[in-house]
Order: sequence, then structure tokens, then C-alpha cells
Amino acid sequence: MKFTMLPRTFAQMFKKPFTNKFPAKYAPASVTGFLKAVGEGKAKMIPPVETPPNFRGKIQYDKESCIGCKLCIKVCPTGAIEFKPEDKKIKIYLARCCFCSQCNDICPKDSLSMSNEFLLADTDKYSKDLIVE
Amino acid sequence: MTALKILTPDEIVQSYKGEFKNNILDARVEKYVNGLKKNEFFHIWIRIERSAYKDVVKHLFTFEKYPHFAVSSGYDLGDTVELVHHFSLYCGAKSRDISVSFTVSLPKNDLTIDTITDLIPGALISEQEKQEMLGIKVIGIPKDDRVFISEDFPECTYPWRRDETGPDKMVRNLHDEVKE
Amino acid sequence: MSKGKTKTSYQIPIGPIHPALKEPVQFNFEIEGEKIVDVDIKLGQVHRSIEWAATKRNPVQVLYLAERICGICSYCHPMAFTLATERVAKIEVPERAQYLRIIHQELERICSHVLWAGVAAHEIGFDTVLFLTWQIRETALDLTEYLCGNRITKGITMIGGVRRDITSDMLPYINEKLNLIKGSWEKLRKIFLEDKTFQLRSQGCGVLTKEDALKLCAVGPLARASGVKKDVRIDQPYFSFGDFDIEYMTPDIVTGEVNGDVYDRIIVRLLEVKQSVELIGESIDRMPEGEIVSEPKLVKLLNQLKKIEGEGIGRMEAPRGEVFHYVKYMNAESPYSWKVRAPTYSNVLPWIPMFMGEQIADIPIVAASTDPCMSCTNRVGIVKNGRQSYMTSEQLHHLSVKKTKELMK
Ligand code: SF4
Ligand code: SF4
Repeated sequence: MKFTMLPRTFAQMFKKPFTNKFPAKYAPASVTGFLKAVGEGKAKMIPPVETPPNFRGKIQYDKESCIGCKLCIKVCPTGAIEFKPEDKKIKIYLARCCFCSQCNDICPKDSLSMSNEFLLADTDKYSKDLIVE
Repeated sequence: MTALKILTPDEIVQSYKGEFKNNILDARVEKYVNGLKKNEFFHIWIRIERSAYKDVVKHLFTFEKYPHFAVSSGYDLGDTVELVHHFSLYCGAKSRDISVSFTVSLPKNDLTIDTITDLIPGALISEQEKQEMLGIKVIGIPKDDRVFISEDFPECTYPWRRDETGPDKMVRNLHDEVKE
Repeated sequence: MSKGKTKTSYQIPIGPIHPALKEPVQFNFEIEGEKIVDVDIKLGQVHRSIEWAATKRNPVQVLYLAERICGICSYCHPMAFTLATERVAKIEVPERAQYLRIIHQELERICSHVLWAGVAAHEIGFDTVLFLTWQIRETALDLTEYLCGNRITKGITMIGGVRRDITSDMLPYINEKLNLIKGSWEKLRKIFLEDKTFQLRSQGCGVLTKEDALKLCAVGPLARASGVKKDVRIDQPYFSFGDFDIEYMTPDIVTGEVNGDVYDRIIVRLLEVKQSVELIGESIDRMPEGEIVSEPKLVKLLNQLKKIEGEGIGRMEAPRGEVFHYVKYMNAESPYSWKVRAPTYSNVLPWIPMFMGEQIADIPIVAASTDPCMSCTNRVGIVKNGRQSYMTSEQLHHLSVKKTKELMK
């Protein structure tokens, strides 16, 4: 009988694991506690795998150049964008955004762009980190 | 794949017109050209009388031993419910495959159509789906229960309908509700 | 379903949600001893009314709705919708875009088939192979991310073309990844095709005859493993597939015979991964210069799509088989009607002949061998003599692993 997988399994034992141990080598008991420690400089975070160029992450909005044409609202598939009639600007609820970057494509003033920020998990859908305006 | 001769789309349409005469209400052939080598393929659309539906499907077997049934779609036009049955012929014959779609119109006061599961057993799920989504009745369907819609979904509400039996009354927009 | 066909038979409901089945679907198995004698299937546990929702959105928004039909086929669905729409609107797609579309489609096929190979290995208790396949898939996903901007939801489809081009400075990275996949594929092939365990466990298991496959309208690798030559890429060469000389991948290419069992499905998928890698390479070489989208101005495109009338179908060969979209427009902002038929829809009925006569331990691998779309939880209930007891996925998985071990003795 042939065990074709055996040699590979042995070889694997001496190789470095493929996994990037983000955010720390051992899972912290409390992620928020860990992040706080990182913020205070007490702990070190292993950075996430780098994103490639043109990654579609958190939206950035340049309020100054926006002319309030509402085209982005028309094309947004998830209804994540809301119009603020008082100052003719928009508000984006990231909790609904699907990161398709369609609004970026249609915007005539290039007011919207995608950043490479992707760590957006939050317990509150309407937290201020998840609203871009 | 089969020993039968491969017909051109026009020959297929002619064959239908000859066989079913007035039961063929409309027929058109669409040609698509793709690629640098300009490969062609065809889609045939035929509108038929409801009464002839089963025989029309049976006639497909004269072209190929096992015509492929893709799915039936359907929509509500107000007075009628239209069903579109999609088949394809000659798969396995490189780039000669032809899609054939039969449109059947059912009046709202008599939403029934014959089953084709005795000819093509693979059509069962699609027929069940049409029953629950459009509120039609497939006569002779071997398994008459819901497949996609759960048992607790209200009776007599049909998601694809656009009249009072449609689903609009059940719609809620949670995002707006939460914001308010 | 009738309760208890004979005195000795009992029922096992598996699903609606169960890891082995991947898709939330419910089976009611009628068991006699260890043998499956009847099975009843119920679908629709995750019906999300996507087709209805599309009638409230404009075609560009529908693209992203279609993307969410399935996470693994997140390219095929919007693309099939686009094909149908382009046919109604009579939009000509530039040649370069046609080639780019092939590249993305084949990349998706690699991800999907490799994922499947890993799951199949896991189902029969061969977890080391699972990690090897994950390594390949990771490479393919990195490449997807590099080309599209995200790993899963590609967002690359646009009516009239694609959204991102491949420029010459991207080629070295692409080639590096393709070579990596090719190398790992060779290892994978050795394990799947030469290892005794796989053969013992999957040969003669879950057989679907050619006749059943044809009658029940099976599609994709499932049909091809039964010897049915069905592949939309070759049958109706959409995009630029007609420019390539591709073959129907059937198991007799390797083994010289067609059995229609799980083993044959493994062979077909492996061959297709190789075919896809080659197709990507060739497309990159042969891609003509030019535009990547026919109408770059979205506003103009939307206005054009508002005024179209008619119906069209989009057929494509997704990793699991033919996807079929029908769409009807009636001079309005949104499509009037949209019908999505995913390949699994056609591959559900063929399950019934495949399960007949198999053992409980074979349920996971047989169900998985058609590669249905996916979702997960944790238990199976066994109703025996009216008493109910639960069987967790671990137990069921354990049964499957146990059978593998017994075979190896
Ligand atoms: S990225 Fe897509 S989902 Fe997000 S706000 Fe823009 S259009 Fe809407
Ligand atoms: S499309 Fe651009 S300019 Fe117009 S409202 Fe949106 S962000 Fe502002």
C-alpha cells in the first residue's frame, strides 16, 4: 500500500507555518484588552498580511469636493449612502456597505476612494467608526 | 452524442411550424457572434398555445434523444401569467448547442399547465417552484408540495406575482426602521 | 414520505443544516440496516427572495445582488446576468474584455474545485490533504485579490465589459502564482490518483449512470463524471471560449473508462483545474489590446438600460455546472423579471439515484461529491422506533473516517 502523503507530512513538520499569527502568537484572552495594551505600548501586535494595491477597503470621503449630485446614491447596491439635504453632502453607513466601489466609479468629482483599511469589526452598527461623512 | 442529425436553428423552427401550424404564435432566432474567430451560436424563442405545450416538448425528442431542460421562468403581466420554458439541444456537439425557449401564456382565471416530468424527470423541481412562486397548478405533477418556500409561509401569497397575491405587503425595510 | 416502508426500516433526517451537506438542504433517508433505500429532499432553507429584490433595483445594483447569491460563484452569477442583459440591450463587448472575463472565470473555477477537493478529502478523514489544497486555494485567492481588489466578492463585472484591466506590470506576479498552483497541482494529482485510500473509499461509491444524468438533467462536473459531454464553454462558446481548443473533461481521459462514481468526480475536477490554469495562461498571452468596457460612463449606461425592452438568457459554465439566468426588461429602471438557476438546482434530483443502496457512512462524501453550495451547523437526528436521538456532525464524520480505516486494514 502506498501512502503518498507521508513524506509531505514529515517535511511539513520542519517548515515554518504558513499562517500569519495575527494579532498575536497566542490568541489573547480578551482582544479589546490586548488592543488597549498595544495602544499603551505594553504589547506588540503582529501586523496582518499586507493588502495588495487597489484593495477595496473602508471608504474615504472628501467632503470639500462633493457637489451633492446624488449619483453615488443612485448606484449604491446596498442603500448605504444617505443624503443630507441641509448641507448637500452625503453620509455613508459602512455597516451596510459591501465595498463594491461602484460609488467611486460614478462620482464625477472623485470625492470617494477606497483605502486599504479592513479591520472594521464592531458590535454597534452605528458606531462612529462605521459612519463616514 | 446521438446518432440523429444536427439541424440548424431555422430547420428547427420550420419543423415546429410545419408540425404545429397555428399553435406556434411567434418564433424568432437570435444569433450571437463571439471571439476573435467569430464563433456563432443561436437562441430560439417560440411562443406557443398552452394546449400544445406538452406535444411541443415531445417534439424536441425528435431532434435529440435527451433534450436538456434548464429551467422554467415566469412573470406576471397583469391579465396573464407567462411561463418561459428553457431547453437546449445538442450539448456535446461542439459549439452547435442551441437554446430553445418556449413561452406559454396562462390566463389568470385558469392558471393550469400540463406537467412534463413524465418526459423529462429532471423538470420536477422547476415545476414545483412555479406552483409556489406563481400560484399556478401543474396538472399531473408527481410531487405536489413546496420545495423552496417554507411551510409556515402564508397560503395564497405568491412571491413572483404583481397583483394582490404578491408579496409586497410583507416587505419591511429594517434599516429605515432602526434609524427612526 | 411514508413512515417506515418495512418493519425493519427507520428514518434519518439529515439537515436542514449540516456540515457534510454544505448547503442547507434537508434529506430524509429511509434506512434498512445500513443501507439507504429511499430519500426525500427538501430545499429552500435559505431562500432570500433575491429574484424579487432585483425588480426593485437598477441593473448595476443587481450585479452586486447577484454576487451575493453564492460566495464561491461570486463571479458567475453577475456575469450570467450581464450576458442576458447585454443580449437584450444589444451591447457589444470589446474583445479584450472577453479575454479578461475568461481569466476571472477560470480563476474562480480553480478556487472552487480546489476547495471541493479539500472538503472531499476531509469528509473521508484525510485532513492532511485538506491543508495541501488550502495552500493552493490561498494562492488562487491571493491572485484574485490582486486582480479584483477583494478575495471573495470580486466586483469585477460590469455590463459591457469588466471593471479592471490586467496591465503588463502585473504579469510577473500572475505568472509566479500560476506556477505555484501548477506545482502544487502535481502533488495533489499524485495523492488523489495514486493513493490507495482514496481509491478504496471513492470507487464504486455514489454511482450516477449516464442515463440518469441525462434524464435528470445533471450539469457540470457531475454530469461529465458520468460521461455526459455537457460544458457550456464548448457547447455555446460565450466570451472568447471559441478561440480556444478545449475538450470536455471526462474521466476516461485518465482511466479509460467511465463509472460515474465519486472517484470519477475527483478526476474530472482535478483535470479541470489543470485546464483552467492553462486557459488563464493562454488568455493572457493571446489577449488583444483595446478597451475593457464598451461604455465607461456609468450614467449613460444606466440611461441606456432604462430604455430597453425584451428578454434574454445568459448561460455560463460555473464551477459546478451550467448557470442559467433569464431576464426580462420592460422599459423601466429595474428588470421586470429575473430567474436565476444555479447549477445545484439541477444537481439535486440526481442525488436520489446516487444515494440509493449506499451506507450511512457514505452520506457525507456522496453529498459532498456533487459540490453543493454551502452553510453549516452541527447535528443529525436519528428517529428509531419513534425515539429520537441526536448524532453530531463529529459522530457522522467519525463514522466516515472509521469506514476509511476499515478499508485500509
Ligand atoms: S462601496 Fe458600494 S456599497 Fe459601499 S457605499 Fe459605495 S456603492 Fe455603496
Ligand atoms: S457622486 Fe460624488 S459628488 Fe456626487 S454626491 Fe456622491 S460623493 Fe458627492
